[in-house]
Amino acid sequence: MSRELSLGQAVNEALQIAMETDPDVILMGEDVAGGGDRTGDDVDEMGGVLGTTRGLVKAFPDRVLDTPISEMGILGAAVGAAITGMRPVVELMFMDFIGTCLDPLLNQAAKFRYMFGGKVRVPLTVRTVTGAGMQAAAQHSQSLYWLTAGIPGLKTVIPSNPIDAKGLLLAAIRDDNPVVFCEAKMVLGSIAEVPAGDYEIPIGEAALVREGGDVSLIGMGATVPMCRSAAEQLARDGIQADVLDLRSIQPLDEEAILATLEKTGSVVVVDEATPRSSVASDIAALCVDRGFDFLNTPVKRISAPHCPVPFSRPLEQAYIPSIDRIVETVRGLA
Amino acid sequence: MELDRELLIGAYRKMRTIRAFEEKLGELVTTGKLGGFMHLYVGEEAVAVGVCSHLDDGDAVASTHRGHGHCIAKGVDVAGMMAELFGRATGLCKGKGGSMHIADVEKGMLGANGIVGAGIPLATGAALSAKLKRTGGVSVAFFGDGASNQGAFHESLNMAAIWKLPAVYVVENNGFGEFTPTEFVVPVKDIAVRAASFGMKSLIADGMDFFDVYAKAGEAIAFARSGEGPVLLECKTYRFAGHFVGDPLVYRSKQEAEEWIQTRDPLPLFEARVTEAGLVEADELREIDREVALKLAAAAQAADEAPFPDLAELTTDVYFEEPRS
Amino acid sequence: MAATVIAMPRLGMTMEEGTVVEWPLPIGAPVSKGQTVLVIETEKTEAEIEATASGVFRHIYVEPGETVACGTLCGAISDTADEAFDADAFAAAHAPPESAHPKVPTFETGAGASAKAAAPLSDDDRSGKRPVAPAARALARELELDVDAIPGSGPGGRVTKQDVAAHAAARERLVSVAPGIALEVLRAGDGDPVLLMPGFGADASAFAPQSAELSVDYSLIAVNPRGVGLSDAPDQQRYEIPQAAHDAAALLDRPSHVIGASLGAAVALELALQHADKIRSLTLITPFVRASPRLLAVIEAWCRIAERDDPKTLAAFLAPWLFGDGLLADEVARRRTLQGLAAMSARTPAAGLRRWAAGIAVWSGTREDSLATIRIPTLCIVAGRDLLTPDSTRIAAAIPDSRTQEIADAGHGVTIEAADAVTAAIRAHLNRS
Repeated sequence: MSRELSLGQAVNEALQIAMETDPDVILMGEDVAGGGDRTGDDVDEMGGVLGTTRGLVKAFPDRVLDTPISEMGILGAAVGAAITGMRPVVELMFMDFIGTCLDPLLNQAAKFRYMFGGKVRVPLTVRTVTGAGMQAAAQHSQSLYWLTAGIPGLKTVIPSNPIDAKGLLLAAIRDDNPVVFCEAKMVLGSIAEVPAGDYEIPIGEAALVREGGDVSLIGMGATVPMCRSAAEQLARDGIQADVLDLRSIQPLDEEAILATLEKTGSVVVVDEATPRSSVASDIAALCVDRGFDFLNTPVKRISAPHCPVPFSRPLEQAYIPSIDRIVETVRGLA
Repeated sequence: MELDRELLIGAYRKMRTIRAFEEKLGELVTTGKLGGFMHLYVGEEAVAVGVCSHLDDGDAVASTHRGHGHCIAKGVDVAGMMAELFGRATGLCKGKGGSMHIADVEKGMLGANGIVGAGIPLATGAALSAKLKRTGGVSVAFFGDGASNQGAFHESLNMAAIWKLPAVYVVENNGFGEFTPTEFVVPVKDIAVRAASFGMKSLIADGMDFFDVYAKAGEAIAFARSGEGPVLLECKTYRFAGHFVGDPLVYRSKQEAEEWIQTRDPLPLFEARVTEAGLVEADELREIDREVALKLAAAAQAADEAPFPDLAELTTDVYFEEPRS
Repeated sequence: MAATVIAMPRLGMTMEEGTVVEWPLPIGAPVSKGQTVLVIETEKTEAEIEATASGVFRHIYVEPGETVACGTLCGAISDTADEAFDADAFAAAHAPPESAHPKVPTFETGAGASAKAAAPLSDDDRSGKRPVAPAARALARELELDVDAIPGSGPGGRVTKQDVAAHAAARERLVSVAPGIALEVLRAGDGDPVLLMPGFGADASAFAPQSAELSVDYSLIAVNPRGVGLSDAPDQQRYEIPQAAHDAAALLDRPSHVIGASLGAAVALELALQHADKIRSLTLITPFVRASPRLLAVIEAWCRIAERDDPKTLAAFLAPWLFGDGLLADEVARRRTLQGLAAMSARTPAAGLRRWAAGIAVWSGTREDSLATIRIPTLCIVAGRDLLTPDSTRIAAAIPDSRTQEIADAGHGVTIEAADAVTAAIRAHLNRS
């Protein structure tokens, strides 16, 4: 049985199922319950800045913990709890805030297993919101998954739709490694028929969501629906596109990327993040390194420009990769 | 004094082990036998042992870059530690962690840590676990005066206070934060007063006096374990060695150091107290000294003869990969 | 000084070099065209090479036992015995081609192979080398093709995988018709053989409207003559019409229907005169036996524009000469036709046009009296608005077993302008024969 859920609601459902099936799962973060004392008649829970965790504190009163605004302390405590028997799901409200708590992820969670000779597991999940599109401006709109993806010991995933969001989050929570789960702003509200019940999507597997032989559009998170729309437009001109939804940035499904390259010889990567040291660049290098003889056109990377996210609406819209840019780029390959 | 003989002998053995271990290490690094950064706990033994005497495997400890003393005090295998410092496959961490990352999570030792202050939130998290799981355990964070200036310190103590976590925060005020004397960077004489900003209980102990540490730590740990809330315990101590092995120590007065070393060494002070009280003979302590020396020499030898890790180990243990049952 | 080259031929597509085995004639011996003048050996076979002209066997450049690249000058035949023959000067004037394969295509020299016009080199091309996609290189390597010889249709003239694949497919259409000469032949359909020969500046695609229908019942053989499409473009002063007929005859293994348009019709006439036994029926579309002054002038302008200007300009110039008001007034048809003309011009480089122009000039007027000797059922399709070949109508009158079909409202390019009518006329004629 499926019902129409938004990505945010699908996340909520995954958290619910995770907490029902494992008493060690706890949620920690700023306002995850939302609002301190919730016992008054005229107060109710927020369930997070975007409402994603609504309802959970009522269902699991001792396991949804509102924290002070202390990212370093919160993330560090979550790591400490993770290595002493808990399975914490900690919320980093906006990925931009990673600047205040990078150490617990970078130097502690990511490295414990390795530094301690394989003798410890860190079953930590960090849920965080990424990306532009809400005019949240420069310090609340970044896509920094390339940063965590580049840290050995961490996994980084980013669903593009509600169905994958639920399955990936359950997989992330149950994974005994630290996993960063990115909720892209522009797809948080997207709706899909989400199956009820407990299911997982494997981490490290991309999904080929559309098949065509002329060009490969590779996207992640919010850029996947853009790629699909671009593919539809191109189809009217007789250009058929493969659309590959990465779903997982680290581990990266290199085989899926190379398979679509082999099929079409033309790869366009659409990445919401900025261009330097980006996932798009990583993929382009992979194509040239391991798929050289399949390349029929240059690998194109569509990304944000190398600048902070602007506030003004038309500027922000120009910042974000667009369907038109994708279509134009593909046309320019011929 | 009310402490029993067995406990005292055990405490001495631990302190002597720490002293001998650190001195051996200093020797091995200075002669070029071992590489990497080593930070020695010499002079601070009474703090680690005084606190950890109240803990068992169900209690957690988070440590610092100067973590060998806490490891030994918490009961971590000395031979395994030695092999780890030699970077051998038989090391506690398979040679992949080194001095600043020695851990034995099963014994509740959450690791030495290369990042100043990083252990504080970790210990806070462990205390959260203990509380949620109702294990009755406490979590002790060891950290220095320098770390008490880290944001992580304030954030962690704040959270522990509001959630009434069973945590004891032991600040080892050894007079220096790396190469800077404490008074240059901490505006208050007693770091313990910082607890007040969190409404938290605090205690101050003479870190060179095992008995004072033991008494104050006992009080703090009991308080935390009872669920009354966290405690900040400041132990005033002195770092006999430099910040790291090879530190030229130009930034501190040799005279000042000599005075501490000659008059405030915790081991002779302990010996004087217990022999004067007639609880332990000096000979017994000498015997322990010999045993410890032999044990460490054997550990060093075994470590030196142990194989280095296989090159294939370079990329293992990055992720946990076994299938979940 | 007129002398004829004897060169190491390229037999088939993969031959790169050959070994001289024997010179059967002594120096000074008379040679007839078609006589074996050289025996060579390739890795696949031994072959007897025929003289392409009559004269006197005059000089040997490559001795027996030596292996040389295809196209290398091996010997020479002079027209007469007593004329002076400067072996070195002749060798210098006939240096072998730089490579065994056509050069990088530009508007003046090479042949276009792929469906799209090859683009000129762009400013992006910093090193002076053409861009080649890695996938194209890999495929070329796999198919043992020289990627430098393949024109690129990608941005900046990049050679793509599709270009390599198209080139490989096209090269499979090359058929050897004479020593060292392979022509591009397009085949379609099943049934009795029908040979199609296009006009000046055209290639086999001129018959596209007819081929779809006719291929249902006939085995169509459309041939691009020397210098057109992928066919070899030997460095001759002119491409002779009689020689073109021999080239075409080499493709026919049994009596075939022969259809030629304009210049192709001239070749068809030569075929009828020289290889009558190979022809079942003859269809001449807007033919000429004497090129009118206007035809010669248009051809001259055609060559000049092809040498100096772009395909679109050439197409714009040609349209009013080739088509009637009907097509020219129809916006859609005119635009489509212009595109087709421009594309076709990429496959008919200027060098070849010049050589055919010279061949037409030499042939013009030499066969008027021979028409009466043709004993093959003949159809002449003439166009009412044809500006270029006014004597088309008189040709049928001179050929005994012939009839004329006039298509009133069409110009010289009648196979395109009145495609259905032409197809119907051809079909009727083929059925009769």
